Amino acid sequence: MDIDHTLEQSLFAEKTARQPGLLQELDPRLKILSALLVLLAVGLSRNLTVIIVLYFLMLALALFSKIPLAFFIKRVWLFITFFTGVIALPALFITPGTVLVYLPLGLVITKTGLATAMFFLLRVGTSVSVAVLLVLTTPWNSVLKSLGVLRIPPVIILILGMTYRYIHLLLHLTNDMFLSRKSRLLRRMKGPEERRLIAATTGTLMNKSLQVSSEVYLAMQSRGFRNYPRTMDTFKMRRIDWLSGVLVVMMVAAAIWLGK
Amino acid sequence: MAVGRAGGHDGCSSHLVGKIGNLQIMETPPIFDVNGLCYNYDNQIPALEHVSLTVRRGERLVILGSNGSGKSTLLKILDGLYFPNQGSVIAFGRLLTEQAFQEEAFNFEFRRRVSLVFQDSDVQLFMPSVWDELAFAPLQLGLSQEEVKSRVESALRDLQIEKLRQRAPHQLSGGEKKRVALASVLGLSPDVWLLDEPSAGLDPLSTAWLLDFINQQGKAGKTVITATHDLGIVDAIAERVYVLGEDHQGVAEGTPHQVLADKALLISSRLMRP
Amino acid sequence: MTRIKTALKMLKSRTPRSLMIYYGIFITWLFTTAMHIPDGYLSPATSVIMFIIVLPFWGLGVRKLRQKMSSKNVPLVALFAAFSFVIMMFNVPLPGGTTAHAVGGALAAIVLGPEIATMAITIALVIQAFFFGDGGILAIGANCFNMAVVLPYVSYAIYQAITKNQATSSKRRIIGAGIGGWTGLTVAAFFAAVEFGIQPMLFHTADGTPLYAPYPLSVSIPAMVIPHALIASVVEGVVTALVVAYLLRTNQSALEFVKKTEIPVELSGFAKWRALWIGLVVMIVIVPIGLLAPGTAWGEWGTEQFSSLGLAFIPQGMAKLSGLWSAPLPDYNFPALKNANLAYILSGIVGTIVIGIVAWLFTMLVTLRKTEAR
Repeated sequence: MDIDHTLEQSLFAEKTARQPGLLQELDPRLKILSALLVLLAVGLSRNLTVIIVLYFLMLALALFSKIPLAFFIKRVWLFITFFTGVIALPALFITPGTVLVYLPLGLVITKTGLATAMFFLLRVGTSVSVAVLLVLTTPWNSVLKSLGVLRIPPVIILILGMTYRYIHLLLHLTNDMFLSRKSRLLRRMKGPEERRLIAATTGTLMNKSLQVSSEVYLAMQSRGFRNYPRTMDTFKMRRIDWLSGVLVVMMVAAAIWLGK
Repeated sequence: MAVGRAGGHDGCSSHLVGKIGNLQIMETPPIFDVNGLCYNYDNQIPALEHVSLTVRRGERLVILGSNGSGKSTLLKILDGLYFPNQGSVIAFGRLLTEQAFQEEAFNFEFRRRVSLVFQDSDVQLFMPSVWDELAFAPLQLGLSQEEVKSRVESALRDLQIEKLRQRAPHQLSGGEKKRVALASVLGLSPDVWLLDEPSAGLDPLSTAWLLDFINQQGKAGKTVITATHDLGIVDAIAERVYVLGEDHQGVAEGTPHQVLADKALLISSRLMRP
Repeated sequence: MTRIKTALKMLKSRTPRSLMIYYGIFITWLFTTAMHIPDGYLSPATSVIMFIIVLPFWGLGVRKLRQKMSSKNVPLVALFAAFSFVIMMFNVPLPGGTTAHAVGGALAAIVLGPEIATMAITIALVIQAFFFGDGGILAIGANCFNMAVVLPYVSYAIYQAITKNQATSSKRRIIGAGIGGWTGLTVAAFFAAVEFGIQPMLFHTADGTPLYAPYPLSVSIPAMVIPHALIASVVEGVVTALVVAYLLRTNQSALEFVKKTEIPVELSGFAKWRALWIGLVVMIVIVPIGLLAPGTAWGEWGTEQFSSLGLAFIPQGMAKLSGLWSAPLPDYNFPALKNANLAYILSGIVGTIVIGIVAWLFTMLVTLRKTEAR
């Protein structure tokens, strides 16, 4: 159950996003667009060096935004090694090409194999770093609100905000349900038992979701909601934002050109 | 003056009996006029039967009833969220129907003047931050961006929750949630407050603050209708008490002093241990 | 310990290296049955095309949300998205020590209808993409196509077929939900595998180094579909069935929700699912063609290289072994076709048909048994 971990993680991101730092100062809409552009540059690059340079740029930005570097690196690479690393590993051995290293069991590492694995791992790692950096330097609510800049309809933005709000309610509820069930059981649960518990929890959670949603609908109506939500422009672009925007566009253009 | 009693299970057309004589002389036109109201949920289980009730402008009324007596449903009907199966509700001289709320102008006017604060703050607070929560109602009712901002700021100030503006609802305590819930409609400066179990789950200090808030609104000439089963707060916030019985009917109305003194009534309405 | 050592020795002496590697990939993929495609697995071109394919489904969902008298759907979608997000965290233990989680797409489709389910799962995925940073921001189109479109529409079609003209209280809903959930996620896994599998074929450096997910279709399809069919889809099916059973006991009105909100226009079976069928066909046909255009635009390689490269990448040992899993269809072997493009389209069609037949047989079996019982 990684629910505790998720809640902790969200609290931590909320904290780092509100402390003073370089990226925290910038307009969230600008940050979202920039993140997308950088992801595009990382995605398009056919040159490993470009990807590596972009990764170090992310590290530098994290540093200037007062994100603990050790945490930032661990947060990205721990996950990558577990999933993408396992997937990339066989490519190291099976890709045909000039042999670099001979290993026992008749395995070999080829030059192309190494390049393949490097491309895959570094590209995923740098992409994840971009996304993590965005979340660590921008309060959640601002991320969601500024999605409007991507031409997402206001009704979807409203739903996104409400979803984020109710994820926390359901997570706490689930935590309580599991704890209360487990506290009544002294021994470890067996497979079938745990499956039944999960099904019952899921069912209860869904009933709760349906019930809360119809009540929330009344609460929204009571406060004047009709089919089309009205929203507010909360953000203002300042000179520093425009300046950073121009910098990002130039940098990404250079990265895409160099990585071609 | 005796506490009025409803006279058994007669037909839907019968009004609540036992209105106290001098209260029927009304100086101001009623805000709500409920007549022979019956309401069933989808599952056909009745929630309210033959309820009749008049609420005057500027009145502080408590609707007293045990769990499941239908008081939440009554508040939702008064707020134009549910509509009666039988009988009628007239608010500000207009019949509350689904069609009436389809009219933009009426919907706007009614929603601005009448506000319901739900019992469960997790339902009332559906936006991702306190600031957004407070801005929701003024925005939906079409106020300008500047107007919305100034109303949110003054609501934050009035309820002393300026520090919470960026918080998410899950980062608030029970008492803070209740303050934000009240603030979420305060921006509209409603004429009528409908409060559903406002003291549920609050610590003594928060409860004392809440009672002050209600009375403050009352003094400012607002109508405050509070649904509760908490006998302890009735005296502090009510001029008049309307009791909903176990059978989802109105069983009595009177001053807090009269109702609280009638032990037999409280016992039969499951508000007190026999 | 010694037994393991001797077993390893035997394995080493008897099997060719390539076989071990092949199974190695299987095993590693077996443990990573995750459906969420992170950024970096797919080329930006694929991501953009997947995004375009999902657009009409989002349009349909938003239209449904905006329908008069259905603003009730706003909080409903929000709560369901939150629900889906949360249950994606429940790791269900399976016999054999592995665990997997459900997506909730089948359940959302059964309760909300597929159009709105698309919206709910999309929103859960968007939040996840930003929340964890590993759900894929550029890849959101591909992830939404697999989990927010294919999964709910396929599950719903099967659930509907099995529970057609049944009372709300019918026990058959449990079976329909289970089979629907299983098939939906398996088909979704197949599409994810296709998205992975076309990467090395279409995007590589001049010397043949794959730029994104490195395995060709011959590896990615079995590696994704088999473990999903055995593990993750089973979980999706079981969770969906168990929750529907729970709803039958506690809250039957939840299962009538779709009926209540459905547009009253009666459509024939095909017309109703037209959007899905067209989407699937478009996906199968257009993806390689659509990818060719940006591929050549980057000026790295021409079409004449293309047909040979798709094959050149498959290691020698694996080319031999590809007969293993395509054995039932000998003509389907890549070398016989000599055209990777056609091979790809064919593999897509064959895969879809095979999964379709399996689901249909299941449905028939259940329907037959039920009729007999009566």
